[in-house]
Amino acid sequence: MTAAEAAPIVVEGVSKRYQTPSGAVTAVEEVSLTVRPGEFVSLLGPSGCGKSTVLLMIGGLVRPDAGRIVIEGEPSSGPNPKKVALAFQDPGLFPWRTALDNVGFGLELQGLPAARRREIALGLLEPMGLKGFEAKYPRELSGGMRQRVAIARALALDTPILLMDEPFGALDEQTRLLMGEWLVGVRRRTRRTIVFVTHSLQEAIALSDRIVVMTARPGRVKDVIEVPLPFPRDLGSPEVADLRAKLWGQVREESLRAMESSA
Amino acid sequence: MKLWIGRAVVLVVALLAWEVAASMLNPILYVGPSRLPAALGRVLSVRYLPPLGSHLWLTLGEVVAAFLLAVASGLWVGFVLGLQKTLGRIYEPLLAVLYAVPSVIWYPSLMLFFGLGPASKIAFGFLLGFLPVTLSVLAGIRQVPESLVTVAVSMGAGPGAVFRKVMLPAMAGTLAGGLRTGLALSVVGVLVGEVLGARAGLGYVLTYAYGLLMTAEYAALVVIVAAAVLTVDALGALVEARVRRWAD
Repeated sequence: MTAAEAAPIVVEGVSKRYQTPSGAVTAVEEVSLTVRPGEFVSLLGPSGCGKSTVLLMIGGLVRPDAGRIVIEGEPSSGPNPKKVALAFQDPGLFPWRTALDNVGFGLELQGLPAARRREIALGLLEPMGLKGFEAKYPRELSGGMRQRVAIARALALDTPILLMDEPFGALDEQTRLLMGEWLVGVRRRTRRTIVFVTHSLQEAIALSDRIVVMTARPGRVKDVIEVPLPFPRDLGSPEVADLRAKLWGQVREESLRAMESSA
Repeated sequence: MKLWIGRAVVLVVALLAWEVAASMLNPILYVGPSRLPAALGRVLSVRYLPPLGSHLWLTLGEVVAAFLLAVASGLWVGFVLGLQKTLGRIYEPLLAVLYAVPSVIWYPSLMLFFGLGPASKIAFGFLLGFLPVTLSVLAGIRQVPESLVTVAVSMGAGPGAVFRKVMLPAMAGTLAGGLRTGLALSVVGVLVGEVLGARAGLGYVLTYAYGLLMTAEYAALVVIVAAAVLTVDALGALVEARVRRWAD
């Protein structure tokens, strides 16, 4: 096993400061994390704790002020669509493109011919329950469908690493749970390494191999919790209840701190 | 269907009211719609007036030249100011002032610079058409959703690809609206220029008829010019609607 295979993502002591009108704010401080191949890691924490910033730094969209990110053994210096794909809370579909052409967007940037793009996009949309919707425009799709198209667009890049920033955050609770089950299936089929940002305990427990709990701003790693339960998970089991109680204790503490510091 | 009946009723009532009002007033100064067909015939037969065809083509040519200049420079200035944020902030108040001042006050100086010929009309049509195009580019750039740019960048799009594949399509609707407004104002600029002082063009023929107190011919010419302008604007509206359907 090479070093790259051993750790697709290594985050080494990264920090990030933002300039705001009222002065500099430290969003992320000294965060370190090593993600194993094929692992599903959730970043969990109160809003504003910098979990999205950590994800964007891994994705190369935000440059850390200190520390470094190593993707498959190479220090990251910007977006890396050969290795890392991102999906966001806002699906960010292009309204002038059909579902099919949205999924093919990244492949178009890579210069793949139209026939090949179509083939790949169709192959992704079908198992996502979007067969028959290829020619629809985003405005004609439901919220859950849009989010699936956006995830299909990220999957189309066929990268070993998928980063997801609260991808189901804007959906209602039921759709959210179903999308979670669907993502477990996608993951089993595609064997990707996934880093997933969420503020939902339920979602983190249902999907993750490991949960990284972050502190209120400035965001640090508060605890890393293994979830050694098999998929699909029974969310009513006593193990899950224990885990949720433990996580809630930690997240509650940080959420209170976040509220106090912003009050 | 009901809408069209309603519109037809409004039109008929307006024409009737116009006819009644005109019949009670001095026929030399006030022309009713019943006198228009004959006057249209006289205008088109070119017995008393300068031949309409060549003037129509001249005006059309001036409008096309003014609009093309307005589009070319409007797009260029809009994109430079919109993409170079600092430059944009420097020039923003200047554009606002230019927009707030009634443009017709510039016309005398344009006549001084460019003379009585087509050049001053093109310059004025350009001046009027230029601002809406520029402003629509600026508004369009501000409208491009940041999330779409982020998606494209995360997939490896460089500045050129972001511009072509994200910004241009995202702002196409606004841009089409601005181009249509620019076209309408270029028409206004050219016609106003011709009315205020020219030796040829539709506006010149209008003032010619008006100057000789040929009011019926003048009214007929107004109808012709209105029809021409409406045709141009309808074409613009059609293009805009198509672009918006595609982009939104």
